[in-house]
Amino acid sequence: MTFPEPSGPGLPEPGGLVPVSTGPGAAGPGPVAPPPAVGSAPAPGTTSGSTTTAARTPSSGRSARLLLNVLTYAILAGGLVLTLAPFVLSVMTAFKSPGQFASQPALTVPAPATIENFLQLFSGDRNFWAPIVVTAQVVLVAVVGQLGFSVLAAYAFARIQFPLRDALFWVYLATMMVPQVVTIIPLYTLFSQLGLRNTFWALVLPFVFGSPYAIFLLREYFRSIPEDLISAARLDGAGTLRILFSIVLPLSRPILATLTIITVVSHWNNFLWPLIITSGRTWQTVTVATAGLQSQYNGNWTLVMAATTIAMAPLLVLFAIFQRNIISSIAITGFK
Amino acid sequence: MASKLARREAGIGYLLLAPSLFGILAFLVLPILVVIWLSLNSWDLLSPARYVGLDNFAHVFADRAFLRSLGVTLLFVLLVIPVQTALGLFAATLLSRGLPGSAFLRVIYVIPWICAPLALGVVWKWIFAPTGGALNAVLGANTAWLSDPVLALPAVAAVSIWSQVGYVTLFFMAGLAAVPDQLLDAARIDGANAWQTFWQVKLPLLRPTMFFVLVTGVISSFQAFDTIYALTPNGGPQGSTDVIATRIYAEAFQTFNLGRASVMALVLFAVLVLVTLAQQFYFRKRITYDLS
Repeated sequence: MTFPEPSGPGLPEPGGLVPVSTGPGAAGPGPVAPPPAVGSAPAPGTTSGSTTTAARTPSSGRSARLLLNVLTYAILAGGLVLTLAPFVLSVMTAFKSPGQFASQPALTVPAPATIENFLQLFSGDRNFWAPIVVTAQVVLVAVVGQLGFSVLAAYAFARIQFPLRDALFWVYLATMMVPQVVTIIPLYTLFSQLGLRNTFWALVLPFVFGSPYAIFLLREYFRSIPEDLISAARLDGAGTLRILFSIVLPLSRPILATLTIITVVSHWNNFLWPLIITSGRTWQTVTVATAGLQSQYNGNWTLVMAATTIAMAPLLVLFAIFQRNIISSIAITGFK
Repeated sequence: MASKLARREAGIGYLLLAPSLFGILAFLVLPILVVIWLSLNSWDLLSPARYVGLDNFAHVFADRAFLRSLGVTLLFVLLVIPVQTALGLFAATLLSRGLPGSAFLRVIYVIPWICAPLALGVVWKWIFAPTGGALNAVLGANTAWLSDPVLALPAVAAVSIWSQVGYVTLFFMAGLAAVPDQLLDAARIDGANAWQTFWQVKLPLLRPTMFFVLVTGVISSFQAFDTIYALTPNGGPQGSTDVIATRIYAEAFQTFNLGRASVMALVLFAVLVLVTLAQQFYFRKRITYDLS
């Protein structure tokens, strides 16, 4: 969650030559289909494999394809509705007054729409601004610190010779295997003993010094930068930091963008650690505040849905803007 | 001269490494040592810790609530993983037909995955609400989905599947796109129909993708917490959704048996290692296809 999970074995290598054996039909002609009745389409999925010329008349082939396309679209559209419905319905509920919610079925569009719930959420003792500000600060510190320190470490592992380098890298890799649930109890006791429970430091300290996962990905990327570029700069008298900042980092924009997105998403959504290490309202994050609101105002769904809308909106906007990068980031890193 | 340069370079290396090394030692390595120490002690944070040897282990393995949570977790994983994998593969197959709009739909399907699992859990808690909830409004029913000991776990699993199918689909699409065209052409020429091509050409080639999707899916499902906590606090009706992660949370942070909770965390860790090794072994043993 917070230190993203290891990417596992990574994406499949493209292809792989397969000993083609297509089953019983491979050796000889396939099972001969009875000639279809005029106008009736063969079952979807069987047309391309049918070896009878009768089944391949242009019109029946086309109508089979059409039927298959219609079916595909119908199923995919069903998926679309199922995916989006919870979002649409919860936002609709957030814009209803409690009275409308009680008197109208859940699926009706709010008429008239009201922002009453949002006003309530930000007013008085509920003050939902505070968790938004806290979470934004956590995300900012995490992006700057976690990414910055990860870049330094990754560069050291990728390009600098020092004793024990490979052994230390193995230690870093090994820590990626440890699930959060194992470290969370000792971390809690550690922060309690240090008197740091329910502080801003507690929210960011475990993450701010870098993430082994980010270091791993950055190291791979840095190693792919041609050695010639770096040795040329060194001959020109550039020092390590100068090489890092003026040559390596500008060339690494794609991976830096990917890691920034991962860091923002995982810290905005983080729940278990803030839930445990904070108490009261001062250092609540958005997720913790949403959970608290839900249990405090159980049944007051219009208010609660306003809170979930706010908890999800920033990332949905981010997703709308950067969806291309995010999709390819997932494919590159399998981030979680 | 050369050794002075090398020493200087090594110094810079350690300097760059210092912050992350401190972070890793303090917040990842040290906690592992502490969790082992905790598992051998009885501690509630208030009174001093007391060494109890293996008592915590004995107690945890006789703890009905913990044993039940192992079963609940296993059932949860068995509900989520096959359905999510099959649906993801099916969606990827349909999207890979390349009909107009497929790229757009692929993006839409990932949306739930980007959102906070906690927030999604709260949204679904409303959807499942017996009165005023969307699901009962659609079905015209008044089922209490989340307070029924039989329905609660499948409901929770359904939310988990819903939020992850799009993510799984992405990986299967990448895997399908990597199947070489000439193999599909060859299969067609040999008279294979679409069904045969899928099972005997595409699926075997998807083995690495399948491995990745299963390993990451199983590992994260065994640790599922946020959504379950939001949907069914306190372990759900009769503990029917009390998975290991929620059990550990309750033991550690509600009853403050930090020692026993640490034992549970170590058990979960051991289970995850075993599952990963087993999957590793299974996928190694089966034939893999080498590109040559």
